[in-house]
Amino acid sequence: MLAASKKETPDLQEIEAFLYRETDLLDAGNLHAWRDLFTEDGTYWLPVSPDQDDPLGHISIIYEDKMMMAIRAENFGHRLAASMQYAVRSSHVLANTRLLESSADGSEIVVKSNFQTMIYYRIQSVYAGTCTHKLRREGSDWRIVQKRVDLINCDADHKSIVIYI
Amino acid sequence: MSYSQDRLDKLVEKNRVHRDVYTNPEVFKLEMERLWGRAWIYVGHESQVKQAGEFITTTIGTEPVVLSRDKSGQVHVLYNRCGHKGAKVAAQKCGKTSMFRCPYHGWSYHLDGKLNVVPHACGYDDTDFDMEDPQFSMQPVARMASHRGFVFASLAADGPNLKTFLGATIATIDNMCDRSPVGEVEVVGSSLPYMHDSNWKMFIENLNDAVHPMVAHASVGHSTRKVVDRLPEGAPTPREAEIISPFGGSYEFFDSLGCRTMPYGHSFMGGKGSIHSSYSEIPGYMESMVASYGQEKVDEILSQNRHNTTVYPSFTLKDAVQVARVCRPIAVDKTLVESWHFRLVGAPEEMLHRTITYSRLINSPASMVGPDDWDCYERMQDSLRSESAHWVDMRRFIGQEKSEGDVTVSPGTSDQASRNQYKAWNEYMTGEVS
Repeated sequence: MLAASKKETPDLQEIEAFLYRETDLLDAGNLHAWRDLFTEDGTYWLPVSPDQDDPLGHISIIYEDKMMMAIRAENFGHRLAASMQYAVRSSHVLANTRLLESSADGSEIVVKSNFQTMIYYRIQSVYAGTCTHKLRREGSDWRIVQKRVDLINCDADHKSIVIYI
Repeated sequence: MSYSQDRLDKLVEKNRVHRDVYTNPEVFKLEMERLWGRAWIYVGHESQVKQAGEFITTTIGTEPVVLSRDKSGQVHVLYNRCGHKGAKVAAQKCGKTSMFRCPYHGWSYHLDGKLNVVPHACGYDDTDFDMEDPQFSMQPVARMASHRGFVFASLAADGPNLKTFLGATIATIDNMCDRSPVGEVEVVGSSLPYMHDSNWKMFIENLNDAVHPMVAHASVGHSTRKVVDRLPEGAPTPREAEIISPFGGSYEFFDSLGCRTMPYGHSFMGGKGSIHSSYSEIPGYMESMVASYGQEKVDEILSQNRHNTTVYPSFTLKDAVQVARVCRPIAVDKTLVESWHFRLVGAPEEMLHRTITYSRLINSPASMVGPDDWDCYERMQDSLRSESAHWVDMRRFIGQEKSEGDVTVSPGTSDQASRNQYKAWNEYMTGEVS
């Protein structure tokens, strides 16, 4: 058998199904279950500059680890928050998913997809760009090591953004 | 119909202001002329134009301007307007160029704004056109001055000089710079912009409003505590929790910080203590500071800890965190707030990381703090349009001010910062500012 030496090619359909599951949880506003999709060292990154390469030494719109995701999940819809007294509804459309990188055994991969997301929060807004997922195989499922969202208007004069895109 | 002086004179009372100051487009227009057109307005930092030919574009009130550095190293603040037909010359937020060139008819300008070339100039032969006539240049604004790299400009030829204008707030700028082992700060990267659907004064007034945090920011305080409480016992407090938690501080805590107000509408809270006092130490920082200044001086520098210094009307600064928020009015109900981040030159890079973390958690349009403020401003902006709401109150702790020379001290939750801003506002708007 050649299987042992052959490079494992991750199944793109399976990856897409995982990404749909992830954005479904955002669209449902279920930030606790969404957070559970991340590895313990997982991060979510929404840069403010095109081609930004540093989340620590340069400002971003969002750069959060799992602890911050937990705080945001608690705060989402909080009855004491003025900004949370409105419906937040979103609809993600993902396409053009392609595999950028894969470790030799296929257990760590980087996939990039294009997205268009409508968010209804007081008014309806369109967000578009690419998301780059670094995924790690944990057991029979994937987990997110990093989700990076590059908006085509990342450096625009944004109003409040109250949910992950 | 333009706003009458008589109506204008009646907008500010000692303990309340009329809603027109937030909602009336004619009042906004007059503010741009009389307040933003006269006060020293923050333009940018010299580190943004380190090399000859570098420039940034911004606004003074609603006037587009360019901050540039010429070949001799001198910095200029110019109207971003072609002397020919008035087109905006530079469109990018920042860049580097050997000259400014209008993309319409090709008039080009030196970096100091002087007219350089007019294409097909024979058409001006036998006219009274003069290359040297300032009306055909990119004109410099009336006055510019800088303090430790922070560039301010005034569109008015007369008025106090920058140092007199800054008054006691100058110590906030100095302290921020002194927190660098070499006494210098520099801007890092691009700004974080946040568009507000509200009048510029709502943002400015909120900075020294210490009655709102325990209400408006209660949710993020609760959520943070809930998550931190789940951490294993003995685990160090995460930096994020250190930054967010004080926003849920008690009324007593904020009262104890005190509010200090001064001429021209400026103010700050705290002094020796603030919401930033209890941050943990960053390895290597103290050592680098002590090596530069000696322990005694370092203790003195780090003991100053102000919360939101407001240089009315455009510039707000946090010395202890090295973040500036700049207020850019766009319309009576539209304001751009830009956060800028500063590196303490010579300090460990982790100091910058804390600056960045702070701003992301507090100032970002996607933070869990800024959007709650945003929403409250927008609620005021919306409701003040209604005929049932005419006056906005500001009488908390009125009469309890104490004078310390040019500085007035009040309990932290006093409305004194607002009253002081409207005193200055009134002086600008009625033409009595000295």
